[in-house]
Amino acid sequence: MKILHLYYDIMNLYGDYANVLAIERIMQKSNINCTVDRLSFGDNAVFSDYDFIFIGSGTERNQKLVLEDIKRYKVVMKEYIDSGKVMLMTGNSFEMLGKTITSADGTVYDGLGFLDFNVTEQNKTRYTADAVFTAEFLENPLVGFINKCSEIQGIEKPMFTVKMGLGNFNDDTGEGVRLNNLFGTHLTGPVMIKNPYFLGYVAGIIIGDEKKLSTKHLGFEKSGYDVTLSELTKRMANETK
Amino acid sequence: MKMFFTILICKLLRFFGGLIGRGSSLPGQVALKLCPDILSRVQLPEYIIAVTGSNGKTSTVEMIAHILTENGKSVAWNKEGSNQIEGVTTLVLGNSTLGGKVKRDILLIESDERFAKYTFKYITPTHYVITNLYRDQLTRNGHPEWVYDAIRQSIHEETKLILNADDPLVSDFGYGKDDVIWFGADKLSTDTEISDSVYDDGAYCPHCKKSMKYSTRHYNHIGHYECTSCGYKRHDTDHSVTSVDLEKGEAVIDGKYTVSLALKSLYNIYNILAAYTVASVIGLDGEKVAADMSNYVMKNGRVVTFKLGKRSGTLLTSKHENSISYDQSIRIAAADSRGCDVMFIVDAVSRKYFTSDVSWLWDIDFEMLDCENVHNIILAGKYCNDLAVRFSYTSISQEKIKIFEDIGKAYEYLDSDREEYIYTITCFSDKNKFLGLL
Repeated sequence: MKILHLYYDIMNLYGDYANVLAIERIMQKSNINCTVDRLSFGDNAVFSDYDFIFIGSGTERNQKLVLEDIKRYKVVMKEYIDSGKVMLMTGNSFEMLGKTITSADGTVYDGLGFLDFNVTEQNKTRYTADAVFTAEFLENPLVGFINKCSEIQGIEKPMFTVKMGLGNFNDDTGEGVRLNNLFGTHLTGPVMIKNPYFLGYVAGIIIGDEKKLSTKHLGFEKSGYDVTLSELTKRMANETK
Repeated sequence: MKMFFTILICKLLRFFGGLIGRGSSLPGQVALKLCPDILSRVQLPEYIIAVTGSNGKTSTVEMIAHILTENGKSVAWNKEGSNQIEGVTTLVLGNSTLGGKVKRDILLIESDERFAKYTFKYITPTHYVITNLYRDQLTRNGHPEWVYDAIRQSIHEETKLILNADDPLVSDFGYGKDDVIWFGADKLSTDTEISDSVYDDGAYCPHCKKSMKYSTRHYNHIGHYECTSCGYKRHDTDHSVTSVDLEKGEAVIDGKYTVSLALKSLYNIYNILAAYTVASVIGLDGEKVAADMSNYVMKNGRVVTFKLGKRSGTLLTSKHENSISYDQSIRIAAADSRGCDVMFIVDAVSRKYFTSDVSWLWDIDFEMLDCENVHNIILAGKYCNDLAVRFSYTSISQEKIKIFEDIGKAYEYLDSDREEYIYTITCFSDKNKFLGLL
């Protein structure tokens, strides 16, 4: 089993790299041999070699550089996604999947065009919030943090339902997007560490059977998740009072 | 007349507010309501020195104020650390005559990075020190480039910049300017050749975004860098730390002035160097300034020594959501050859805002604790599980790690016959939960 951490050195703004560690560890604990490649500009990533590919979040300027570079993989990336293999894109990296990204100065950048959405950035306010999301495919809600300056219009079927936090655009009740087994969300940072149940779900798809995974090592992860969820739930209750 | 009344009311509020602990920000807030452009109406001193950046602002400003005072200058500065426009307004009007003249030789302003553009809309600093740009409180600040863009809007053409040459992003403020005053450190004995931290904000040139190379790194992205493509590189310095002996606690400035360090940390040396650079701009004698800075213990209370039962320790106030501030404290503990136990408390992530975000833990270089000097590691507070997960991804033996959600229980554990020195590393928001137990 092979993992690729793509643009590891430039798209790693909020501890995103830990997602790769979480997948690597759950595989090792489940007695599945696992190697990780970390590649960036100037490397040649052979997408079809991998079982899991991860890209994290970056600054607005760095995302544009990566967007220009990732276009050389457009065909193989599409094949990878169509084949049902697993990919995770956190923060603004998944914004590259759409039609366009318009930066704060009005420049329009063409996206990869795999999905029919448009992204608009601004440079006045940082949109940040603690987040609680639910997903149809998961029993347990997700927790995390949103840190962005953009809005995404045109995602018809978002991946998550927003219970707390920010959606794809202001007041949207949906967040992120799923394309086959590509998971794209603005939940920043170590999503897979913070959400051990989501980790189990994604890792299950990678190996084809979630039941074959060992999750005994996730004790602190689950306790940490419980504390965060209960803190955020308390706050939601206070806010609706 | 409007100015007269605004200043009068601000002064009264400052006096009475001071009695109830609301004297630093509220009076300025009211003054700005009464007269929004009051700051551009008052007559300011010859020197207006502003300081901003991610880390070290308060310490740098305190050091500058200390030196200036020692050298017979009268200084108005925001001692209470209220560093947004309201606090600065209180500071300026509080030190002004009712006729609107600031009766001090020097106005020294610590300014919040993101809000500097509002403060300096009305005040044009004569000199502007920018210390560094780190990943700091990203849940509000976004990221360092976002903060860079905000600071950029606060810089006036006529202001002389005083920049940390060793920080590539900060140095970009001086790009193409020829009147910048640069400070930095020469290659030091504590330097490394490669980045050994978990992320590298110096990997790409801030100017053209191609790869950068470092000939030496002081820590993280702070060092001697050069872009492989556009030639952007660390600027030669006007004032430098030329050598450092952390064990002895000494730093040498410009090859001739030795400063004894009250806090033996590399990060502290930058605050000292920035303060020295400002002193030299004012025209103070270098030797005298170095003597004034020697062994000066900051009054801002970030380092607290304590007794816990039979044991002794130091609390190193760090900033949650700021990995370099944690790295700095960890480096001090890891270097203690007496042997030590190190305690981390993450109970409330932020002092002012609620957030449950702990992704910043992944940017901290906890791996430095995997050394002989560090014996037990105690993880405490509401987010102890998240700390425990983070530590499970280091090479530190799990046997060394003790986990207590209850800070009181962690305290009881520490109250033992163990002889190790204790370092407690935590934030302003959490430190009293520990100090209150002593």
